[in-house]
Amino acid sequence: MIACAKQKVREGKLVKVEIEYDESIKKLKITGDFFMYPEDALERIEKTIVGLKKDAGMETIASKIRSIVEIEDVQMIGISAESLARVIREALG
Amino acid sequence: MKWRVVELETYDACMNMALDEVAGESVRNSSIPTIRFYNYKPSAVSIGYFQGIRDEVNLEICRELGIDCVRRFTGGGAVFHDCEGEITYSVAAPLNIFPKNIIESYRIICGWIVSGLERIDIKAEFRPVNDILVGGKKISGSAQTRRGGVLFQHGTLLYNLDLETMFSVLNVSRQKISGKMIKDARERVTCISNHCDAGKEDVYEALVRAFTKGKDFEIGTWSRDELTMARELALKKYGSDEWMYLR
Repeated sequence: MIACAKQKVREGKLVKVEIEYDESIKKLKITGDFFMYPEDALERIEKTIVGLKKDAGMETIASKIRSIVEIEDVQMIGISAESLARVIREALG
Repeated sequence: MKWRVVELETYDACMNMALDEVAGESVRNSSIPTIRFYNYKPSAVSIGYFQGIRDEVNLEICRELGIDCVRRFTGGGAVFHDCEGEITYSVAAPLNIFPKNIIESYRIICGWIVSGLERIDIKAEFRPVNDILVGGKKISGSAQTRRGGVLFQHGTLLYNLDLETMFSVLNVSRQKISGKMIKDARERVTCISNHCDAGKEDVYEALVRAFTKGKDFEIGTWSRDELTMARELALKKYGSDEWMYLR
């Protein structure tokens, strides 16, 4: 199953998620007009979500994202771990 | 600390991105902070690092109109860089001379643009995160990144508006390029020529004065090594499909 969700998130920027999944998440691409330093942390965020069950809750997804944010001291402007998780959850239906 | 100011120069989109990256590298390697002003020729669309190019840009129309397209190494949104209608700037400097708080550092650099506009009698204000408004309408947008002890910020200041071309190259279907949409955009976006008669040269002079006020600076140029590195980056990185279609 391939799905997509797009939201202007609470922090102000646009986030689009394209996701491929069956029982678990196989592939994920996050795009948008937000800011994140270092930029390549987004790839690690995408990777950490891959493998989660398709019915993973918002908090599970957000905590996976937060773990990368904390380890790598990632700074996000216009988005947050919670907002990203919300768009991913919406794409999963 | 002495700043280097590289005067208004014109390059294509790939070379402009490459020179911006080189400016950051030069801060990292030799702590030379650089302010540069530039234009794009041919006109170009730049997209944010995290954007999908096919989502944002009508590549077919860009090809038809001879408009370049480039992915920036900074986040943010897609920008149409009209070769006649804007002045673009970049600032590369040691991170430790700016506030750690990202919004506050945007406020400082965007404040230089606000001061430049004041010099031509335009009252502007910074709107966090990264915009400058005149009369509630956007006149300038910027994008910042921080890496390896370097703060880098670039942005555009609109001199003229060509909304029809902007809407044709940014990915809005032909059917949607309606009069209403252009009218809506005119209510949200403005440019210097809507507010004063200053020529582009006057605007540029005002910006140079505002960006350099209170700084020890010299008008400088790129070194031969910097230009060589930039040409290589323009060709192998910014001009590559791998970079263009990264997302």
